Amino acid sequence: MNQTNITWIEGSVVENEVHMSIVELSHASRTPEEMIMSWVTEGVLSPTGSSPQDWRFGGDSLRRAKTAAHLTHDLELNVPGVALALDLLDEIAELRARLQRGE
Amino acid sequence: MKFRDYYETLGVARSATEAEIKAAYRKLARKYHPDVNKEAGAEEKFKEIGEAYAVLKDTEKRAAYDRFGANWKNGQDFTPPPNWNEGFEYADDGYGGAHPGYGSGFEGDQSEFFESLFGRGKHRQGGRGGHTHQGMNFKGQDHHAKIMIDLADAYNGAKRTIALHMPTLDASGHVTTQERKLDVSIPKGIKAGQNLRLSGQGGPGVGEGPTGDLYLEIEFHPNPIYRVDGKDVLIDIPLAPWEAALGTTVNVPTPAGSTLELKIPAGTIAGRKMRLKGKGIPSAEPGDLYVVPTIALPPADTDTHKEAYQNFEKAFDFNPRTHLKG
Repeated sequence: MNQTNITWIEGSVVENEVHMSIVELSHASRTPEEMIMSWVTEGVLSPTGSSPQDWRFGGDSLRRAKTAAHLTHDLELNVPGVALALDLLDEIAELRARLQRGE
Repeated sequence: MKFRDYYETLGVARSATEAEIKAAYRKLARKYHPDVNKEAGAEEKFKEIGEAYAVLKDTEKRAAYDRFGANWKNGQDFTPPPNWNEGFEYADDGYGGAHPGYGSGFEGDQSEFFESLFGRGKHRQGGRGGHTHQGMNFKGQDHHAKIMIDLADAYNGAKRTIALHMPTLDASGHVTTQERKLDVSIPKGIKAGQNLRLSGQGGPGVGEGPTGDLYLEIEFHPNPIYRVDGKDVLIDIPLAPWEAALGTTVNVPTPAGSTLELKIPAGTIAGRKMRLKGKGIPSAEPGDLYVVPTIALPPADTDTHKEAYQNFEKAFDFNPRTHLKG
């Protein structure tokens, strides 16, 4: 029998196990740190920690930052526009889920 | 190669002004943006719109494109005439529509039609990195890709070999797509929309900088039996009318591959959910599996069956429409 050993790459589930610094989130979402700061100010992202150096972004921060970056780039939305779009998208997702649950 | 009618894609006349083209593009881009529109085909449409706009917003490209004339239709077989773009110069080969990171990998988003006319756009280098700065060290780019897994993989964990298509710049600055295979362990309990971070599997670092990371966004293959809501899972269980009325026991298949026995109480109503606690997607706080009963009516397709329904009718004084007037 010809058997090859495969090394399976283990990853970390970002939403459960990873708490990113602003540097990491900036890199992962390809967004300048200043833009991330303005998203925090607008309430798009809610990190723990008191100052940007201490900020830790958990949960669905990466997904939100990626969506915010796409909307900023593709639709040329400004920061309040991105914040509004994300709130509305969350609401639509919640309504769709309720529809699916048959409520 | 198929012709692409960029005017038709944006829904504008060939005589449209720059402002009209921009407005049409913006409207369609908002409608079909894959972060906004979750319907199948939206992403493809968004890319087409972006490609059309990349040509029509650029005076030079639009003028070159217009030389083909108005008689070409979307999808017609097309070969560009020789020297068709003689005398045109394109200030940039950028492609302003879609962004990398969508779709199954990182491949360029342009159609064959676009590439044959205007060349392959430079792969956009996002954020920092990418360019060589003498004596400077940067972490390599973080890459993003979506992967599709089965719901069962989230219940049981899985090992998957995935193929990613990654654009790489060769020595002369041209983009070539390389396929890269990765053997990835999918952890039990992962949910749709979550990201798996594979450290050091992204773009190469610059100078002494470390390699970037690869983020895999998880999506579930559509499942004919189950619906997924975060960590909860729903399954429709059809019941015969007498089973719903009198009660019964049914076997409920779980996404993990096991079967649960569920007691259906007498007088069960369609749509009234029953919760199997902790049988959703596993985790420290596992989700629940919801059984949604539906009532299936047997067809009255033989005399015996018709008689059974008639007996039904005689036995009950039942009007389901008493709450409706008239």
